[in-house]
Amino acid sequence: MKALSQLRAFVARLRFVPGRRRLLDEVTEELESHVELLAARYVRSGMAPDEARLAARRQIGNTTRVREEIYTINSIEWLGAVAYDVRYAYRLLTKNPGFSVAAIVTLALGISATTSIFSILYSVLLKPLPYKDPERIYSAEIIVPERREQLPSLPASVQAYLAWRDARSDFSEMAALGPWECNLTGDAEPERVGGARVSANFFSFLGVSVSSGRGFNADEEQPGKERIVIISDALWHRRYGADPTLVGRSISINGEGHEVIGIASPTLLVPTGSLLHPQVPFATRVDVWTPIAATRRGLNNENWDHGVLVRLAPDGRLEAGRQQLEAIINEMARVQMPNLKTHATVQLIPIREIYAGKIRLRLLMLFGASALLLLTACASLANLLLARVATRANEFATRLALGAGRARIVSLTVAEATGVALIGGAIGIALATLGVRGLASYGPADVRLMASARLNLPMLTFAIAASIVTALACGLYPAWRASRYQMVTALQEGGRSSFGGAGRSRRVLVGLEMALATALLATAGLLLHSFIKVMQADRGYEIERVLAADISLFGDRYAKAPSRAAFYRELVSNMRALPGVSAAGMISDLPAIASTTRASRTILLPTDAIFQQVVLTRPVAMIRGVTSGYFAASGTALRAGRFLTDEEPGPVAVISESLTRRLWPQESAASSVGKLFRQSNTDSPLITVVGVVGDARPGALDRDPLPVVYRPYEHWAIGPMTLVVRTAQDPAALAPAVRATIRDIDHNLPILAIRTMREIVSSTVAEQQFQMMLTSIFALIALLLGAVGLYGVVSYSVACSTRDIGLRIALGAGRTDVLQWVFARGMQPVLVGLFVGLVGAIAGARALRNLLFEVAPTDPLALGLMSLVLLLTAGLACYLPASRAARVDPAAALRSG
Amino acid sequence: MAKGTQSGTIDVLQGTLDLMVLTTLESMGPLHGYGIARRIEQISEATLRLNEGTVYTSLMRLQQRGWISATWGTSENNRRAKYYAITRSGRRQLTAETKNWERMAGVITRLLRTVQQS
Repeated sequence: MKALSQLRAFVARLRFVPGRRRLLDEVTEELESHVELLAARYVRSGMAPDEARLAARRQIGNTTRVREEIYTINSIEWLGAVAYDVRYAYRLLTKNPGFSVAAIVTLALGISATTSIFSILYSVLLKPLPYKDPERIYSAEIIVPERREQLPSLPASVQAYLAWRDARSDFSEMAALGPWECNLTGDAEPERVGGARVSANFFSFLGVSVSSGRGFNADEEQPGKERIVIISDALWHRRYGADPTLVGRSISINGEGHEVIGIASPTLLVPTGSLLHPQVPFATRVDVWTPIAATRRGLNNENWDHGVLVRLAPDGRLEAGRQQLEAIINEMARVQMPNLKTHATVQLIPIREIYAGKIRLRLLMLFGASALLLLTACASLANLLLARVATRANEFATRLALGAGRARIVSLTVAEATGVALIGGAIGIALATLGVRGLASYGPADVRLMASARLNLPMLTFAIAASIVTALACGLYPAWRASRYQMVTALQEGGRSSFGGAGRSRRVLVGLEMALATALLATAGLLLHSFIKVMQADRGYEIERVLAADISLFGDRYAKAPSRAAFYRELVSNMRALPGVSAAGMISDLPAIASTTRASRTILLPTDAIFQQVVLTRPVAMIRGVTSGYFAASGTALRAGRFLTDEEPGPVAVISESLTRRLWPQESAASSVGKLFRQSNTDSPLITVVGVVGDARPGALDRDPLPVVYRPYEHWAIGPMTLVVRTAQDPAALAPAVRATIRDIDHNLPILAIRTMREIVSSTVAEQQFQMMLTSIFALIALLLGAVGLYGVVSYSVACSTRDIGLRIALGAGRTDVLQWVFARGMQPVLVGLFVGLVGAIAGARALRNLLFEVAPTDPLALGLMSLVLLLTAGLACYLPASRAARVDPAAALRSG
Repeated sequence: MAKGTQSGTIDVLQGTLDLMVLTTLESMGPLHGYGIARRIEQISEATLRLNEGTVYTSLMRLQQRGWISATWGTSENNRRAKYYAITRSGRRQLTAETKNWERMAGVITRLLRTVQQS
């Protein structure tokens, strides 16, 4: 209450502050009028005019005093002081552009780095997902214990989804989704886009609206009624020029007419790539949705390739719901496959984890790294401010001597730091906006999906808070030092030798900068080494000088298998004829890119009789169709037997080493050649092994490879194929020729991206690359800040001890002695910082061990190299002023002192 | 509101002058500074020697607290003059302060009496 009334009084006073000069003029006027009236009265009572005037003046008293008082009443003292400080800071900053630019740039770098990363962190990890009650949505996965070693978890199947959906459970709603490849033809250039088959309630489940048209109706999940699509806002704009009449029209997808019933909201967020589950691989963009035409079937031969999202009921219990789903799936399996002896478990993954799970740790680590950079910038700024304070010692001493309070001196210095912080912060925010835009368009897929490139409130708040905290943190210590200058000593000694203390703190700050730079450099080094190892790792195929192009044949011309075969044959032989091409072949799925369940099958031995009894003990393998040239083109190594030829009479296969080990653990690779196996079923034809090749690992190397069965593509022709071309020179240079060759055969085929294998593999390790690049950038900036800080400190100490150096030289010290002396003194904080930083980096890397690939946290190569980089840079920063010191002319130095 | 009236203790206005100015404006209606000074002089029957300039400091203080308001008008010598009038919150304050003053005066009177008796 008391505080409130005080506040009210304060606000009331505040009203008078801006007009206080005007009020003063008015009071002056009033006072004059008063004197006149009074004098007139005295004249009326018989006084002489002069006398009357004098008497009136006497009666009114000291008018200057009155005016002063009124001015004071109307001004708020500290507010005036602050205004003064701000003007003072502004003058200082403009008077010393060198210092100001250095300080502002330093701070802007620190603020922009942390703000950019914070913004990404916020949008990926913190911002509520754009769904209705997103915290109640989970993705349901199934774990089959016997399969766990090969497949840690399985997605659901359509049948499992139907059983779950129709049973009573603690979940209020469920939705299913699976990938769908779409070839758009007709209206424009043929084009392949990513699509998804979704349950009719998909959009209402997520709580997102369709921006024009309508959503799916429940009865459109029936086969025959599912020829309708909702397309993305992006596709609508890109391909159909945002034509409002598109809704209601039919478009041709995979050669069949589909009615467009709606356009999705532009902000729709759906899982892409393998975010939902590695076995449910969507395209990198999903642009078309169609209802799942779900029919009830048996579980036998069911494809486990659908994601199921569940929404916990408002009063639902998560664990109870999970157990219900588990009971349903096990009961279903028991009834339909009584011989399958297993107990599956269900796991529920929060939807946030689907989007952020892969990158969370990396983002947190990057945020930590950016915080270290900001800290470096802080130390650097504090260092600059200390230097400023030191050069202004005289001024402060004079102010103190003239009666300024210590608080005023602190306030002056803090005002300067605040000025720097505000300008640096503003520039930092501008840079961060650019940075976030860059990260949001060039970052890894999950970041691109989630990050909003626009300036947002949390980001702004963070940047401003960071700037203010930085200003206070950096400004207070130098301010405190400034307020403690002994006026007498400072004035007497001309502001020279009294900075021993400030020099010490500056050396400590430089040591801190060096420690932070070392920690960042070392971490960057470890990540870089890890990344190099990832890229160089043996994946079982070549990465360099290989081109890959996805080819999808559709339409009447390729309706029949022989016409497709003819196309592939012609394409491969034309490719081989191109100059610079040493081998060419085709494969149904590139091993570098995430596997697809559509192509994974259980491999059975010829003696297996009852499917349900053996299925869980037999390995799962990827089945890939290839043309004869694939192995040579991809650089796959033959271990035994032979490669496939173009004319294979019977069912044959080349299998990967790991499959021989799983099927025939006792046999060598060579003796596996000639053995027989079956695919999928006990009654399917026997397949003869003709060759054994090395394993092909996925690009990211993030999981053990599934074994692979390579079949001649005529025997295993599912879906689109990828052309693989091995080149003699730079593969990218050959891309136009490859494109032209495809056009020559059929100019109607959609032109798809032709990428080098290195690009493809890089994209699978985009998260690692993202983390490594940003950490390296942060480390370089920190190194630069540290080096500049060191240079400044050493130069300053040389300038301060010119006399001392002159004296030494005069007394017979050699130039090299001086050089060594200055250099050694300068390098001291560097060595301490290096040691501290290395210890910190190793400790930090231990916590992040999971992010390193085949690199120990103590990796001597990375740490050694980075230490060397730091020492060389710091050495240069010390050497320059040291060599200047060595050139000091003793006579001049002594005289000038 | 002055803090004194809230806690129940006696806290006289910034100065006695402030109280005199408020009372004058309450009884006489809007006045300019000169008029206020004359009125105080008249009431005090010249027993109070006042530096009349301080009336203006007092007026400023009262304005800040919102107890009086000022409007421009014309004075007797045809000059522009500021006329001050008591506001509603000024009246409330005056009542409270008058009570305070009377209590205070009572206490002091009693106190002086005891001093005389002893």
